[in-house]
Amino acid sequence: MVKITVNGRVVDADPTKPLIRACHDNDVDVPMYCYHPGLSPVGSCRICQVEVKQGEAPGRVMVACRTQPVEGMIVDTESPKAHDTRRECLEFLLKNHPLDCPICDKAGECDLQDYAYDEGQAEGRSNEPRRPMEKRKSLGDVIVLDEERCILCSRCVRFFEEVPKKAQLTVSDLGSRSIISTFMDRPLTGNYQGNIADLCPVGALTLKKFRFQARVWNLVKMASTCVECSRGCSIQVEVLRGSDVKRFRPRANEKVNGHWMCDYGRFAIGHANADGRLEGARIMEGVTLLQSPIEDGLCAVRDALMSSKGALFVLSPYCTVEEGQALLELARRHRAEIAFVSPAANALKDDLLHTGDPCPNRRGLSELGIAGDTPLNLTKRIAAAKVAVVAGERVVEILGAAEVKALPATVALYAFECHPVEARALRCEIGIANHVERAGTVVNLDGIRGPLAAVKPAPRGVRALSRHLEDLARLSPLSKESASR
Amino acid sequence: MSLPQKLTAEFDELVKNYPERRAALIVALHRCQEELGGWISPQTMEDLGTYFGLEPVEVFGVASFYPMFNLRPVGKHVVSICHNISCDLRGAQDIIAKACEVTGAPLGGTSKDGKWTVKHVECQGACANAPMIDLDGVYHEDLTIEKVAKILGAVR
Amino acid sequence: MKAFETYLLDRAKVEGNHQLATYEKLGGYKGLEKVLKGGMTPATVVDEMKKSGLRGRGGAGFSTGMKWSFMPDITKDPRVRYLAINADESEPGTCKDRVLMEKDPHGVIEGALIAAYAIRASAVYVYVRGEYRLSHDRMAAAVKEARAANLVGKNILGSDYSCEVHMHKGAGAYICGEETGLMESLEGKRGHPRQKPPFPAQSGLWSSPTTVNNVETVFNAPYIIERGAAWHAAIGTQNSKGNFLVGISGHVNKPGVYELPFGVTAQEILEEKAGGVWKDRKLKAWFPGGSSCSLLKGSDVDVVLDHDSLRARGSSLGTAAMVMMDDHTSMARVMEVIARFYEHESCGQCSQCREGTQWLSQIFHRIAHGHGLEDDVATLEALAKGMAPGKTICALSDAAAIPTLSAVKLFKDELIECIRQKRDPLAAPAPKYATVGAH
Repeated sequence: MVKITVNGRVVDADPTKPLIRACHDNDVDVPMYCYHPGLSPVGSCRICQVEVKQGEAPGRVMVACRTQPVEGMIVDTESPKAHDTRRECLEFLLKNHPLDCPICDKAGECDLQDYAYDEGQAEGRSNEPRRPMEKRKSLGDVIVLDEERCILCSRCVRFFEEVPKKAQLTVSDLGSRSIISTFMDRPLTGNYQGNIADLCPVGALTLKKFRFQARVWNLVKMASTCVECSRGCSIQVEVLRGSDVKRFRPRANEKVNGHWMCDYGRFAIGHANADGRLEGARIMEGVTLLQSPIEDGLCAVRDALMSSKGALFVLSPYCTVEEGQALLELARRHRAEIAFVSPAANALKDDLLHTGDPCPNRRGLSELGIAGDTPLNLTKRIAAAKVAVVAGERVVEILGAAEVKALPATVALYAFECHPVEARALRCEIGIANHVERAGTVVNLDGIRGPLAAVKPAPRGVRALSRHLEDLARLSPLSKESASR
Repeated sequence: MSLPQKLTAEFDELVKNYPERRAALIVALHRCQEELGGWISPQTMEDLGTYFGLEPVEVFGVASFYPMFNLRPVGKHVVSICHNISCDLRGAQDIIAKACEVTGAPLGGTSKDGKWTVKHVECQGACANAPMIDLDGVYHEDLTIEKVAKILGAVR
Repeated sequence: MKAFETYLLDRAKVEGNHQLATYEKLGGYKGLEKVLKGGMTPATVVDEMKKSGLRGRGGAGFSTGMKWSFMPDITKDPRVRYLAINADESEPGTCKDRVLMEKDPHGVIEGALIAAYAIRASAVYVYVRGEYRLSHDRMAAAVKEARAANLVGKNILGSDYSCEVHMHKGAGAYICGEETGLMESLEGKRGHPRQKPPFPAQSGLWSSPTTVNNVETVFNAPYIIERGAAWHAAIGTQNSKGNFLVGISGHVNKPGVYELPFGVTAQEILEEKAGGVWKDRKLKAWFPGGSSCSLLKGSDVDVVLDHDSLRARGSSLGTAAMVMMDDHTSMARVMEVIARFYEHESCGQCSQCREGTQWLSQIFHRIAHGHGLEDDVATLEALAKGMAPGKTICALSDAAAIPTLSAVKLFKDELIECIRQKRDPLAAPAPKYATVGAH
């Protein structure tokens, strides 16, 4: 590390990383387009210009992304010269950039808007017509390119070259005719396309699935973790106020996913938004499932557990560490067996992020001492049990809906699930919150813990599994409260 | 499809000149353009990608950067006319007009009979002998309107 | 002008000099022989070059000896080294390197080998612009002859020094004449100039130490070696030494490439070599060194054509490509052509250059075609100031800004008149032609 002065403050800077990193790491804002901490630096956009003084030489305006910190360097990111140079740069960028803000998805999180606002670059001098280009160029299933908005930062080109390591985009032609292109209009491929929409500093690259879905300032955003595989990429869940999850976006995490996430996880918002949720509790009376108060449902579970020996708890691999802990205690109290469903690896494994293991909390549950078992084995074990409690998001889907449906009526099946369960063995089902509706912890394949956050309100009558288990404990005879029931 | 053996044999020798094979790409593009119809087709770009271990999009990015590479078919004869300052000062616009008239090609395009493409280009280094045309790779300099009509008219 | 001794173009005038037999008969390869067999170390050669005062002829005018000395100490940095010969000659008005390659290719090769020896390069890449087919073919044939005669390749002339010479081609991009753009192109990529630092001597071709020299620059090396640094330093002016090639084109009677010593005035060149302004007209304006320098007025033709004098007059020597404009010339049209050139050639990396070159071009186009607006001249000036100096990865942005600022400074009234009249009173009559994509 070397000591440099930034805006009057002496800070430590890593001399092997560009100056812009030293600024950002020390909470000093320096604008950037072509620079991205996850990609190699280029120094082409020229927006990150700061004034640098070294030794006796007069201060010079330099691009921070291609300047290495040197001991004793004096940096001023707010000098008049630095601001003037940035303002000039913005005027050049805004010359051809269309005034699309009212119809552009990026508005509200656009670096061009933000820096133009910061630098006070409100009016341009250009009397020239803007160059007309393709505004809705499909780059495949995931991305739409608006060539007019592109400021040629080349982040998207570098992303494919450096991250999935297979070039898919290029800058074609040159100079003022430059256009981001694929080869012969071939669509983009691969599981990492969505990242270029995040990377694009403006609204040139947008997600087809997010297009016109929401204004970003109406999104409630919270840090969470992706649950679609055991990588547990750090993500941000973004929910439209009063409505659905609109976006998952990656959060930077050096230890897990860098700056990226895969498309499979990114577009798994369907699970979070699925309709047909199980609300409250439903208890089987004869052959009909009747909507009942939750407490009645919990009492039914309690009675079943108390009356039997050898109950079986089957957990979803989506259960959090906290839920696993609570279910483990419950199982111990009732001397029940406990296991989590461990489906086979899928074919989505790649060289980058997706592990191919669909269990987001395999390691977390295993570390608690809960063993995993295959769906096939577990359905056999359930069929052989007197009482079985299946708990957690998507547990029935993973066991196999058909297999669960076919369970013999000799089993008393109790389910804590997101969606109604169809099974003649079913005695009672209670609705639970899904992975964006309740907080908790999952542990990824490397042992790194990731938080889940309650970003979206659960549907009416639906509570987190932990709440149900707390109430169940309260209603059990080993606690004083339940004596009255 | 792949590149003709004649070309790959050439390229096999060419790449030996450089510590990294890719350096031969631009000379290879020239050779492909010369041998494969005067332009660089998408198939050629794919084939060059295979030869050099590059994605086709990377070859496309390189080929589209350089004005000498035609990424669309051209006429049987290509006339490139400098319209930069020394030539402009000595009547390049008149030469361009005459060339278009004689060949029937629109400026920047190809004649309907497919015989001619006329392009305007930047400084070709013939400034002391301006104005000029480059006809199928040969410079014709110190031109007048009459001379250019004669030169183009003589092409069969 | 005073009588002076010529040497640069003497052999080129002889028929057949592009072939080895004639070249050697005329005294060729004596310089290389002296270096390799006369016990000159690379350091000595570098020193001679420094003492000679030779400055680069590609446009930047940097001391050649000093540039060679930037290569790292071989004992501390044993990486392989390269010499790249910049034969991309694309600066408007410039056609001198072409003469040397077509008519004296062995001279270029000999100079390149001396330079390669001085910087301990193991290979020379000659990057010839794609359009210069004859130059390339003459050079390639000469390399072949030289290799057969043990002048290129292993153990040259029986010495310990081995050096390969490879011909290479560009494909029509001016920006590949910028030394880092050249290197990117040579590596088989888009010709995007690189950030400096690192400089080519630290990290050049394939990240190895590299020196990039212009054709005419290395061409001087054999003369300096043979006749001595002191001989060279005695020719010319205080800071511009030796003879050099001047191209003169445009509105003159005898455009051409002429060999001259530093110290002659532009007027002497115009009148005594180029036959004066054509059609008995007067000189209105001129570029002294290609289009990337400031325009000068006709009255400035009294300036000595060397580095210091031109700088003092507000311009620069560049490639010594004089482009002369008579008093019937429309300066709006001149700038339309020049600005369009830079727009066409910008690689597009830097925001100011990509957008600015287009913007300048659009404004000059409008002014030249009668659609100028009141604030155009002020905008031109502001844009040019935003594009330079030193705000971009390479100097193309500066190269577009400099002539723009000079046009606004010297010919503001003419531009304003075009705007006011809504036409260019000096425009040449436009010929009619089919205009797909024409300007």
